[in-house]
Amino acid sequence: MVALIFANLKMMARNRQAIFWALFFPLMLVVVFGLFEFNGVGVADVAVIDNSGGPRAELFRERLEEIKFLDLEFEEITPDEARRKVEDGDLGYLIIIPELFDDPAGQVQAEGPAPVTLLYSTRNPDRNQLVDGAVRNLVSDIHSDGGPVIPSQLLTADVIQVPEVDYFDTVLLGLLGLGIMTNSIISIAVRISTFRNQSILKRLLVTPLSIWKFFAAEIAAHVLLALVQAGIILALGVFVFGGQIHGNIIWVLLVTSLGSIVFLNIGFVLSAWAKSPAAASGMGNAVALPMMFLGGTFFSTAALPWILPQLSLALPLTPMLAALREIAIDGEPIWDTWPYLAALGGWVVATALAAVKVFKFG
Amino acid sequence: MEPAVQVENLVKRFGSFTAVDGVTFSVERGEVFGILGPNGAGKTTTLEIIESLQKPTSGRVSVLGLDVQSNAAKVKARIGVQLQASAYYDYLNLKEILTLLGSFYPSKVEPGKLLEQVGLADKSASRIRELSGGQQQRFAVAASLVNDPELVILDEPTTGLDPQARRNLWGLIREVNQRGVTVVLTTHYMDEAEMLCGRLAIMDHGQILALNTPRNLINQLEASYTVKLTMNQPMTLAQIEALNGAVEVIQSGEQDGEDPVTENTYLLRIANSPSALRAMLDEISKSGLGLENLQITPVTLEDVFLELTGNELRD
Repeated sequence: MVALIFANLKMMARNRQAIFWALFFPLMLVVVFGLFEFNGVGVADVAVIDNSGGPRAELFRERLEEIKFLDLEFEEITPDEARRKVEDGDLGYLIIIPELFDDPAGQVQAEGPAPVTLLYSTRNPDRNQLVDGAVRNLVSDIHSDGGPVIPSQLLTADVIQVPEVDYFDTVLLGLLGLGIMTNSIISIAVRISTFRNQSILKRLLVTPLSIWKFFAAEIAAHVLLALVQAGIILALGVFVFGGQIHGNIIWVLLVTSLGSIVFLNIGFVLSAWAKSPAAASGMGNAVALPMMFLGGTFFSTAALPWILPQLSLALPLTPMLAALREIAIDGEPIWDTWPYLAALGGWVVATALAAVKVFKFG
Repeated sequence: MEPAVQVENLVKRFGSFTAVDGVTFSVERGEVFGILGPNGAGKTTTLEIIESLQKPTSGRVSVLGLDVQSNAAKVKARIGVQLQASAYYDYLNLKEILTLLGSFYPSKVEPGKLLEQVGLADKSASRIRELSGGQQQRFAVAASLVNDPELVILDEPTTGLDPQARRNLWGLIREVNQRGVTVVLTTHYMDEAEMLCGRLAIMDHGQILALNTPRNLINQLEASYTVKLTMNQPMTLAQIEALNGAVEVIQSGEQDGEDPVTENTYLLRIANSPSALRAMLDEISKSGLGLENLQITPVTLEDVFLELTGNELRD
């Protein structure tokens, strides 16, 4: 019994690749979870239009920059453009500093300094409260030297009503992407690694079957499987848990297929490096899990620190989920999601080239 | 008609290791050609180059008149291959596997017919793992025949099988050959090579040491019989040397393979002629020594191999 335990430990230790991935995996989860700021509301992106240009406005801008959870942009942007971006969710907040901001305590205007406009949508109520409060306090603080001011008159909140998005709908599509990604990567990596270990691939190689046909057949079968999987996930979400799909389901399935091809190609690449099916499974998880968190499956990637939100844009899951959500939740036609589709298409080509380059039959 | 296989000055190196070192041979259509040698002799590498699974470092290989390097797909379509260790899909039954493999070829044989040929007709709905070792090897031969090939290449088809399953498979290979299919096989079993092969190449360390029919290989040996003598008392060296016709004393006294050690037992090789045997017996009776037991065994390929390589056949 003791001898068997030792022999087992020895065997596990000798399967180095598998043990590396087994250890690497939980460590990575700790790191990824540690990166999220679960207690905060994340960083709010704010555009500032300064119509005043005076010293007081400059002070206001400087003080704004000191607020940690605000990510300020001073790019040239017209109010209309900014309003559209806020409405679409591409921009969190717009602050418009009025022309008469440098008019303390109503020297020109009897009713006091012209109010700052804060524009936002109803998309993120918790964050709105925080940002509204912080900006309001700051304005009031800036004007406090000029005699009594009425805080409520210093800031006008311009709130755009957007259709309420159920968090479950967002997560449902996240789960769809997650399911397709993990299943595609891991199942193909393990399957091909098993085939190679059992010399099944070598047996195929002595037939006239061409390599591209082998790849195409594997991909076609797995994409069909992914579509069935997508159907089951969405049916369960919609019919059992009351989720809603506003857009065209055909477009949803099309994006799902495209994403699945990218992840299958990644699975092929991993299978070329894995020395055993166990190692392939570990590698698959190690690739899939960071993407799950960085791709915005459950939480907005805005809650990530440092350059991680930008990095997340460079992962294939991110454009897949973005396209799925725009189609399914916002009800947009597929051609309106073309930047995401282009990104996914790029991934299809890049991963296919990598797979063909590194893949080995023997 | 071109030979089934033509190999000229074939060399294959892996880094500094030379697996195949200047091998030349040809296989005529319709014959069973064997490559005999220990593990690591270069047999499998040679076959894999013929099957275009590996590229040669130098040399030329043509199969059915086609250069394998420039016509890989055409060659693959006309030959059947059984790899030394290869599995088939776990979740397909025998018939489904044969149907799938057949779909890769321009011409195909009906799976039911193939399974019948190898005696597995009643197993067509079974999975591979439900078969015995012998049945799995027979299935591998069936799988190599899906495209009605002109040449089949079998890499150690009987390794790991029990004696009955081996004989069974030999029968199958002969049947296939009798239908006009050229067979190239490797083995490290002497008896198998002797039973099956029309011609035989003996290979070791990447080189062909001899190539002939099994009978000619044996007849080429100076010594052709092994004689085992058990005497009633020890013989002196002078007495042994005096035995006319004794070519070589290969063992004396202590040990003889797996047989129990018998005292005063001597193993001699004598020339392949009845007179040599008679001369030896005359010498024994003249010397006054008592002969307790006498065994005469013909020389086998094992002896040929021993003489050529100076080694026991490594497993």
